Amino acid sequence: MMDFFAANKDMLLFTGAAGVKLLAFLGAVMGFTALMTLAERKVSALMQDRIGPNRASVFGFAFNGLFQPIADAIKMILKEDFVPGRAEKLLFTLAPFFALIPILALFAVIPFGDYVMVFGYRVNLQIADLPLGLFFVLAISGLAIYGVFLGGWASKNNFALLGAMRGAAQMISYEVVLGLTLVGLMMCYGSASLQDMVRAQGRLLFGFIPAWGVVCQPFAFVLFLVAATAENKRTPFDLVEGESEIIGYFLEYSSMRFAAFMFAEFLEIVLISMLLATLFFGGWQVPYLYETGFIFPGGAQLPLNHYLVTAMQAGSFAAKTVFFSWFSLVVRWTLPRFRFDQMMGLCWKALLPLALLNILITGAVMTILGKL
Amino acid sequence: MISVKKVNNRPLNLLERIYLWEIARGISVTTRHFFVNLFFPKNILTVPYPEKTIPLPGNALFRTRHRLKIRSDGSPKCVACFMCQTACPARCIRIEAAEYAENTVEKYPAVFDIDLSRCVMCGMCVEACPEDAIAMDTGELPGGALARPGMKMTKETLLRNIPGTGDPSAKGAANRLADEYSGGLE
Amino acid sequence: MPTITIDGKSVEVEKGTTLLAAAQKLGVYIPRYCYHPKLSVSGNCRMCLVEVEKAPKLVTACSTEAAEGMIVRTASDKVKAARRDVLEYLLINHPLDCPICDQAGECGLQDYYMEYSLARSRFKMADKARRQKRRAVGPHLVLDNERCILCTRCVRFCSEVTRTSELEVMERADHSYIDLKEGKALDNGYSLNIADNCPVGAFTSRDFRFKQRVWFLKKTPTVCLGCATGCLMEAHHNENTIYRLMPSPNAETNTWLCDHGRLTYKAVRAGDRLTKGVIKNGLIDLEPALREAGARIDEARGAVAVLGSPWLSVEDNAALARLAKDSVKTENYCFDFASEPGIKDGILINKDPAPNTSGTGLVKTAHGGLSLEELSRRIAAGQIKVVLAEARAAGLLKDTLKAAAPLLVIFAANKGEIPAGTYATLPYASYFETPGTFVNYQGLRRRTAPPVEAPEGVKPLWAVVNKLAAYSGASLQLDSAEDALKGIVFK
Repeated sequence: MMDFFAANKDMLLFTGAAGVKLLAFLGAVMGFTALMTLAERKVSALMQDRIGPNRASVFGFAFNGLFQPIADAIKMILKEDFVPGRAEKLLFTLAPFFALIPILALFAVIPFGDYVMVFGYRVNLQIADLPLGLFFVLAISGLAIYGVFLGGWASKNNFALLGAMRGAAQMISYEVVLGLTLVGLMMCYGSASLQDMVRAQGRLLFGFIPAWGVVCQPFAFVLFLVAATAENKRTPFDLVEGESEIIGYFLEYSSMRFAAFMFAEFLEIVLISMLLATLFFGGWQVPYLYETGFIFPGGAQLPLNHYLVTAMQAGSFAAKTVFFSWFSLVVRWTLPRFRFDQMMGLCWKALLPLALLNILITGAVMTILGKL
Repeated sequence: MISVKKVNNRPLNLLERIYLWEIARGISVTTRHFFVNLFFPKNILTVPYPEKTIPLPGNALFRTRHRLKIRSDGSPKCVACFMCQTACPARCIRIEAAEYAENTVEKYPAVFDIDLSRCVMCGMCVEACPEDAIAMDTGELPGGALARPGMKMTKETLLRNIPGTGDPSAKGAANRLADEYSGGLE
Repeated sequence: MPTITIDGKSVEVEKGTTLLAAAQKLGVYIPRYCYHPKLSVSGNCRMCLVEVEKAPKLVTACSTEAAEGMIVRTASDKVKAARRDVLEYLLINHPLDCPICDQAGECGLQDYYMEYSLARSRFKMADKARRQKRRAVGPHLVLDNERCILCTRCVRFCSEVTRTSELEVMERADHSYIDLKEGKALDNGYSLNIADNCPVGAFTSRDFRFKQRVWFLKKTPTVCLGCATGCLMEAHHNENTIYRLMPSPNAETNTWLCDHGRLTYKAVRAGDRLTKGVIKNGLIDLEPALREAGARIDEARGAVAVLGSPWLSVEDNAALARLAKDSVKTENYCFDFASEPGIKDGILINKDPAPNTSGTGLVKTAHGGLSLEELSRRIAAGQIKVVLAEARAAGLLKDTLKAAAPLLVIFAANKGEIPAGTYATLPYASYFETPGTFVNYQGLRRRTAPPVEAPEGVKPLWAVVNKLAAYSGASLQLDSAEDALKGIVFK
């Protein structure tokens, strides 16, 4: 027995570490997403001078609506699980999983910190450091279309099908833009591994500006923000669902199946916030903070404990994620919905040429800088 | 002939057509509201109804919760003529008539229920009443009950008198009978 | 045969026809209060004034006979003015009781005011004449003298139809009022007709008083089952409750409806209404009650008697006959009910209290069966172990049943009907809840229409019999009341 442990020590350690990271990170993500469902309602309420949900209470303690996600979950579980008589039973059942699982899988490549030393072992703060992490993101997020389309098609409902068609067209279109905007970033950092890209953003430009994506690729940042919001099917690009008027692909879904779609959408908000933080805002980087501590431009130094540095880095990542999640809510409750033709026009006539232009300019600038 | 009014909207300038600047302006408005309300929640105009209510302006002609007026002897002015029940488009009024043995008015409502969960606050009952017996002037906005029974007004709750509005008015078709009974007090 | 012209249309009428009847023939409506087609002409309300050419004054259409060449105008300005004035005159002293008056909604004053007057009153409310307000006169009526317009329909009804003359106009001129004659009470068997006849709210029904506003009532034409006369009537109902029964005047049987007949609806919602089966004295659901009764019948096969009932419809009697013949296969069944039909009091009430004696005769013709005496003899002789009967029909053999004491299985709608010593009682839907065919004493076939629905779980008798057949013998497979009627020939 001991032989087995001794022989496979590295593998076991890796598996154990990966398991712990998985549980901790995904647990945090899930908890945060649950709170996002509350935040969506609270933020919108505050923006509109309202109070928002504040009634759900446990033993009379409401904590200003903190128990609302629990109440929602209980309600969702207790609702009737309805399958329309004409629906494709198998695909109808599978569709919510197609929506949920790709999103969850994507969290594997998000680096939420640099590394931490545990009992002398170096543990990378990323569940899976894939060399082609960015391509993994694009590939797997493309799978989420299946959830939308199968959900609409398997319902055998005309309105759901139309919603699914809109969704498929929208998501495929914006995936192109999404991919092209990231090309510029890869050119800048010379890597497709997310951890490498974050590390590369730790450098300083001109000795004092952090080389964050938003500094290097401001144009790509705007394009990515727009394309990612569209990919996420959030307002102003929510005409896939259009819950109030045009009816979306999950029309026939109820109970926890519907909750799965809903939860996938909120997970996607969190995911996109993390991607925005990772790609354009330095991920876990804190300006001027290095492994040993702060080194400010001009030479001032502040040495710090390794664990404190790691905690600050993880906290920085969390803060950025929270900010972008909040920003996503603010955008949703500020902008009205696009018309379908406007949305498609925006993608193919504006964003796509601009993304190509961005690659061109990036290439040109890099060539010129390389020559100098 | 429908008249057509041509509206010449100002063409959008470049900044507006790019749209991003306008988005930023919009977001700045909502964000300002968000933070102001986050840090000064007392200033939010919305109140948690029904625990808190905003007092209605005194001169406002709102239709508020119904009440049944009373005669000077405390009996309801209502004679159960069913006019309100007939006029009610939401069918939320239920009356059962009964007979006074002595009173010259003869008829009174033994049951007078208004189901506020069905009431549309249209005021037809007040319009229809020939006795000026029902009024919607209590200043209370109905609703906000946790269970259905809380939305049901019975004769007893409707007769609850509101200070300052309890004066029995002399209007009403069968008023002579009431007058006779109360010795001309009204 | 004089020919007259009314509003430009000429019509030939028989000698002695009044202008009002002639106008009615032409479809011209002349408003009236005191006129009633079945009462003598009084001509005191002046509402039916019409203009006749060459006549110096307006004449009352109800009392003027048509004469050759008369030219009548019913809508001239003069007539309209006269109607308006008459209405104003009638309304001078009429109290503003509409909110508390049961007549409101079907009141002659309200209707004609809206149609012919719409004038504002020129008299002060305080100046109105005072009279006796409500008081009970007789067991069924309330009289309010203040509302009375002295059309004397009630007086004429009592003197001409019932010939009891309880009512009289007291005093003279503007002092006059309607009152009971001294020492009389308004308790003739037709008094509720006075409430119908009264064009205003002076006479109202005590039974219907304040129960419901008339505009909520829906009307279903049906047949009175109070006796063999089989009067046509209307059930007035709302939200599955009957509130009153009113006569539907027709040439064959009735203009009026007797008080007894008007109150037959009470049994439908009575407190003792059966909605479940009864075994001995305990209530149980219909299904186990049927099983129990069926088992008892099955045990006593050959010694079972089935008794039809003149209180049940032809369909239900036929179903009982089928049960006896085809399911239980006994020859001890009887649909032979002798009666001496005929109007007892010269107005409506029949000597035969059962509504369908003639109908059971049809069932007997189709299915045969014993005579009532023969069945009674067999029961007395102890040949019968189980008797299946409707409650009131069982009352016809009361003494025999008491003496021989066979097991009694009774169909009853109300608990009060169940005879003593009954073993099992099965509920059935009354004929206010299910349609049924009845044949009255004249041989007229009449069908009841259900104004209300039966209480939950209560089924028509033929359906109960159909289920009972399944438990007690061969199945009858009756899917509808019409199935049971197979073989019955109506004249």
